[in-house]
Amino acid sequence: MLDFWRNCPQYLANGLANGCLYILVAMGFNIIYNSTGIINFAQGEFSMFGGLFAYALTVSAGLPIPLAAILAVLSVALLGGLMERLIINPLRRSSVITAIIATIGASIFFKSLGRVIWPLEAYKVPEFTPGNISLPGVTVSRQFLWVFALTVASVSLVYVFFNRTRAGKAMRACSVNRQAASLVGIDVFRMSLYSFLLAAALGGAAGLISAPYASYGMGLELGVKGFTAAVVGGLGNVFGAVVGGLVLGVLEELIPGFLHIVLGISTGYKGAVAAVILIAVLLFRPQGILGKGMVEKV
Amino acid sequence: MLEIKNLSAFYGNVEALRAVDLWIRAGQITTIIGANGAGKSTLLRAISGLIPTRYGEIRYVGTNIANMEPHRIVRMGISHVPEGRQVFSTMTVEENLMLGAYLRSGRRKRKEVAEDLEFVLDLFPPLRTRLRQLAGTLSGGEQQMLAVGRALMSRPRLLLLDEPSMGLAPLVIKDIFNCLKRLHEQGLTILLVEQDAQIALSVSHYAYVMRAGKIRMEGEAEELLRSEEIRHIYLGEGGISEDELMR
Ligand SMILES: Nc1ncnc2c1ncn2[C@@H]1O[C@H](COP(=O)(O)OP(=O)(O)O)[C@@H](O)[C@H]1O
Ligand SMILES: [Mg+2]
Repeated sequence: MLDFWRNCPQYLANGLANGCLYILVAMGFNIIYNSTGIINFAQGEFSMFGGLFAYALTVSAGLPIPLAAILAVLSVALLGGLMERLIINPLRRSSVITAIIATIGASIFFKSLGRVIWPLEAYKVPEFTPGNISLPGVTVSRQFLWVFALTVASVSLVYVFFNRTRAGKAMRACSVNRQAASLVGIDVFRMSLYSFLLAAALGGAAGLISAPYASYGMGLELGVKGFTAAVVGGLGNVFGAVVGGLVLGVLEELIPGFLHIVLGISTGYKGAVAAVILIAVLLFRPQGILGKGMVEKV
Repeated sequence: MLEIKNLSAFYGNVEALRAVDLWIRAGQITTIIGANGAGKSTLLRAISGLIPTRYGEIRYVGTNIANMEPHRIVRMGISHVPEGRQVFSTMTVEENLMLGAYLRSGRRKRKEVAEDLEFVLDLFPPLRTRLRQLAGTLSGGEQQMLAVGRALMSRPRLLLLDEPSMGLAPLVIKDIFNCLKRLHEQGLTILLVEQDAQIALSVSHYAYVMRAGKIRMEGEAEELLRSEEIRHIYLGEGGISEDELMR
């Protein structure tokens, strides 16, 4: 038990680092869900492209990391925009379920595309700044500081966007009541495009900072974790994603750590923790920790 | 100002509008009365582009706007206050009103928009003290004021109103209809949909009666107020129910 407490700071640090990635992916899920009612199963693949583009631009093309990072995020955003125009927009007169199934198709397509271009199981994406920082009881990579800073910056920008800008407020209006939004002159299909651009950029950023390795398979895990974080925080609550991501990230470390040290159970099932949390939340608190928030009806 | 010719619209295979013809003269209040399910809201939704139409035309100052996208129709000067108010409940009153002016962005328009905001707040004083409150926390009457105010913020030339009296107390209804009269005096053209025929006919110039997706009767509002049939069916005088009449 004492060992468990001694390890806690490390669990928290690791949980925070993963939680940041989940936050970005979960915000993507929420933003698209709010604007369109669609759960975008290709959200994880945006992260996959974020990682693989970062690899291609730094290692293959030899660009400096900051430039490569910006280009990678912009390219993924563009891809999200293309997906919206080519797949989602043509289905605007169909049901939401049809569109959701189309996103599953898109996810499979993206993954195959990634695999064709980058067939290896892992590509090493350079860290922004290599090395570790050791404090008493905790060791974190320097990359972690970047992950943390970029997540804080992204969340703040998204916050400002939704609360201060005309397009952001219009997107919120869509999430409250799409019909009323169109009656004040908001082009709801344009908002759908914006939501895919934004969600893809956030997903891409998550993939980019999830170094050191990127692969065609990484989208599935990040997608599942991000979706779980979104549900934990309250699906449709963009800033609930912050709570959901952190809770999921930390529990994913604490639970296996506790069971391993105290009860001697191996940690091989670690990946299933998110699934158990997802099911538990859906069963006992389907509206998530913070509730739906933005999409509440009168 | 608006001329509807032979308009038909469907929900799936159900014909909700059957060859509707309707005229709205500029500067007038035109009303559509009819029982629940007659197709009144459907007609407004067709005008504002929320639902597709299959046959017919909606001519608005010379252009056919049938099946145009809703945001383009708003830009042309038609503003629709939907049934059930549909305010943005988790946003503040001020955000709701400013979203009403969504299409009037840019520095040059900012002053105009600020003036219109003042105008709306003068028209509906209860909104002024609640600018920072979430719209979902307002009373029904205040939400109706907000919905009308939001629609006015686009500076429409034609205002479509779907049952503004629904679920409100008589005094509040009177308030809102007084505001509508004031708006009309300022030159706004209004298409009013109501189940409450008495109040609708008393403020309007011309009226249409709808039943089962069709226009069944039309005429000067005063004339219809005096008409035997209307008095029986819609003003609750005499013994004939609508069901009996349908047989
Ligand atoms: N979304 C919808 N889908 C299918 N049928 C509908 C829909 N909305 C309305 N209807 C039907 O169309 C008819 C007209 O409805 P509506 O225009 O709402 O009537 P009113 O506003 O006069 O009460 C009704 O029979 C109603 O059941
Ligand atoms: Mg109606």
